[in-house]
Amino acid sequence: MSLIHRGLTFSLRIEESLIPQVNQLLEDYNADQPPNESLCGTFFISWLTVPTQVYAGKEVLPARVIFMSSYVGNKRKHVDTLVNALGDKLRKVFAFSDEYPQKTLDSRSMARFIVKKSSFNAFYSGFKFVSTGSIASESQLRSYIFKWVEKQTKTPAFSSLTPSAIKSAIEKEVEKHPSFSSLMDDPEGIVWSKWKMLAMPGLFVMLMVASLLVAMGSIWWDMGLWGFLGWVLPDFFLLMFLLLVLLRKDENLESPPIDVISDEDYLEIVSREKNKVVNEMTVIAPLKPGRFRRIFLAVSLRLVAMVRYFAYIPTVHTARWLQLDRGKRLVFIATFDNQSEAYAHDFVDSEKRSRNLAVIFSHVMGFPKTTWLIHKGSDYRKDYMKGVRSFQFKTGFWYTLNRELSVENLKNNRAFRLGLNRKMKDEDIRKWLLRL
Amino acid sequence: MAAETINLIQDSELELHDMQGILIRGYGLLPEAKYLLLKFEDGNLARSYLQSLYMYITNGLAKPLEQAINIALSASGIKSLGIEENDFNTFLREFKEGMAEPHRQFVLGDEGEFSAEHWSWGNPSGEQVDALLMVFAHEHEYMEELLEREKKRMEKFGVKLIEALPTALLRDHKEHFGFRDDISQPIIKELAKSKGKGDFPAGEFFLGYKNLYDEHPLSPSVAEKEDPKGLLPVSYEDPSRRDLGKNGTYLVFRQMEQQVFRFWEYMRNQSTSEQEAILLASKMVGRWPDGSPLTLCPNNPNPEKSLENGFNYWNEDRYGLKCPIGAHIRRTNPRDHLVTETSAKDSEEMAAKHRMLRKGRPYGPPLDETLEPLDMMLKADDGKERGLHFICLVSDIRRQFEFVQNIWVNFHKFGGLNNDADPIIGNHFKEGELKTDEFSLPHYPVRKRFKNLPNFTRVRGGAYFFVPGMKAIKFLAKALE
Repeated sequence: MSLIHRGLTFSLRIEESLIPQVNQLLEDYNADQPPNESLCGTFFISWLTVPTQVYAGKEVLPARVIFMSSYVGNKRKHVDTLVNALGDKLRKVFAFSDEYPQKTLDSRSMARFIVKKSSFNAFYSGFKFVSTGSIASESQLRSYIFKWVEKQTKTPAFSSLTPSAIKSAIEKEVEKHPSFSSLMDDPEGIVWSKWKMLAMPGLFVMLMVASLLVAMGSIWWDMGLWGFLGWVLPDFFLLMFLLLVLLRKDENLESPPIDVISDEDYLEIVSREKNKVVNEMTVIAPLKPGRFRRIFLAVSLRLVAMVRYFAYIPTVHTARWLQLDRGKRLVFIATFDNQSEAYAHDFVDSEKRSRNLAVIFSHVMGFPKTTWLIHKGSDYRKDYMKGVRSFQFKTGFWYTLNRELSVENLKNNRAFRLGLNRKMKDEDIRKWLLRL
Repeated sequence: MAAETINLIQDSELELHDMQGILIRGYGLLPEAKYLLLKFEDGNLARSYLQSLYMYITNGLAKPLEQAINIALSASGIKSLGIEENDFNTFLREFKEGMAEPHRQFVLGDEGEFSAEHWSWGNPSGEQVDALLMVFAHEHEYMEELLEREKKRMEKFGVKLIEALPTALLRDHKEHFGFRDDISQPIIKELAKSKGKGDFPAGEFFLGYKNLYDEHPLSPSVAEKEDPKGLLPVSYEDPSRRDLGKNGTYLVFRQMEQQVFRFWEYMRNQSTSEQEAILLASKMVGRWPDGSPLTLCPNNPNPEKSLENGFNYWNEDRYGLKCPIGAHIRRTNPRDHLVTETSAKDSEEMAAKHRMLRKGRPYGPPLDETLEPLDMMLKADDGKERGLHFICLVSDIRRQFEFVQNIWVNFHKFGGLNNDADPIIGNHFKEGELKTDEFSLPHYPVRKRFKNLPNFTRVRGGAYFFVPGMKAIKFLAKALE
């Protein structure tokens, strides 16, 4: 069973004049949320419309309705779940698009249609390998054990036990509890999922190391056909360097001015964030002019997707980046702890993070200019915040499985569970107990 | 802090003559202070009022020993003075919307008992507060004279006094719960005698100077034609405009009532002895009542360290065993440890971007003159109102004040916690599954959980103000025509 978190994104063109009708439908669906049981394996769904936008001052990018979900496990199974839970709603909204077939699609055809329309996205998860089912069970486990230990401490003898003895007592309590005993074992598929996620970056590194070794070896030996491997590493760097040089040329192009969103419109968007713990934001913007930006961004997003196992963005549950309209539009969506105004700060407040994210956002209209990709100009932070604001859109329909737990809560609950049945030193047990 | 800066201002890189004194000092030598909330009845008269007041306003160069007067304007106050709509729109969105706007209330956690509808001033359905006049004097009689003079001026120019908020400094720089206050203030690089690591550029707190991002903070500006006398400097944002914010700043004012009896009653009820009650209260604050930090003095207070500010958490106390993660001082200034960051350096960098320059004063009589916890625990509830006029200066309301309030103070999930808002100033409530009224004390074998925390503070009023520089005051008073 795969525990890898993934993002599914698909979008259809619609006439801009139909946007109000689609938005009304999405608002209605938002008020009538599907039950969690019907969306097994799904963490989040954002469903919204985006109006036409202008690329490079001349090309009009079409209005779209965009559906984005975050899930764990198998893509096809997830699509089937979506079709079963939201089939009629999806059909009604899609019917506004000329890309949707005239005849009504049955569930199987609908699932095929969605898969066909889905696009690549670079996806990030802040609580890796946690399944939808284990969010609640791990939270209940921690809470139950906390109360149990709290009760035991009323007996002075319990508090004077060694850390190992206390851990054993906890493990016995978990084992004898029918709803928690299965949590004594590591989640099924976690090791396989980790290996799977590491496979791509691992292969890439191995390929590069092999290339380096072959290149070095070819100085002394004839490598025969293997000699071509020696060119992979230099070719890769050469290609990246070339792209960077071409990008530098694009960086000199002046971007057309953007319409800065009014305070009233922005207030309307952020006022929708009514959740006390988890909220969502969507930023959709055309790219800045320059044909190599599109290529550079596409390559960057694939590299980001490859190293996502190692990525860390604090307070973010999930995030994704993707290109639409032949790479001319960037979609960014994130679900995070607390409010978007604070969350957006997390990026610019840290020098390191703002540099990393410049690799993606520097290509997008409204975002500050950079040179050599990550070299920031003056007023970077102010312009960045202006960019986020100006291209933030209202999400008509937003579903979230978890409304109560922060990223740190989720990680903590998982770490507590994984500590069960693990051998630890007394000092580590003390730290583990602090997770309760 | 104030005494230090007075001796340094000669060589400062700041245009102190163009700043109001409140930006530079807390007027510690002037123990009497009143905060007057004003309403302008007429725009023209309001400008005349500013003209008349101008020569009495204390600037940043002066070292007042007898009296000081400073003024700040709310969004409605600025509008009343007749500023053009386009110019008004250059003020920060948060300032224009105001503290009592529903979304801002959500962000600030002002709901239930904290909600603006219960405020005695700043309430949207109450009197509109246009200005805040801060009057300081060295003695009570002199304060009375000053107030008389100012009241006459108000009458003359159709300015209504909504409320005169009193202040009362407490002994040993304490606040009403009996804890030493005002220890950890950011040091402004341009005002410091010697350059130190961790000093803050003036732009973090004042407009017109560079901030920690090496940028000039967003500053309100006016069209060039609005300033024919050329009073204002060129705007950093747009050279075709004039900078109205230079040498000014934003001021956040929150009147916070402190429920002192309730505070010590709770501590007593949760403890088996007075000493344990003091320890619990100290764990909630993060310092002992004398000011010594728990991180350095976990077991007992140490008077020698009562002003100590040179400590961190990452290496010293990462798990909060000395100073709990949810303690008040660890939320309002997390120093080098944020649970969400992966290193002390990153935490420090993030924490630095959200500091404020505090200028407030307490008000109301102490529950017990000694302000000693042991004495206060013996006192009955006297039913009198007391608290803190929390005032802070920031160049970015959202990034500094609102961020701290939203993400660190009231977020019940702060630092991986579950149901814990700031134990001292947080809004504690239950709403269905949502609980914010717990306090967790890391402990072996399991954390101690204190439940049903009542609100120890309550917001009684509040507003965002703009403190104009001296030239900006002249401009707003239409160049003192």
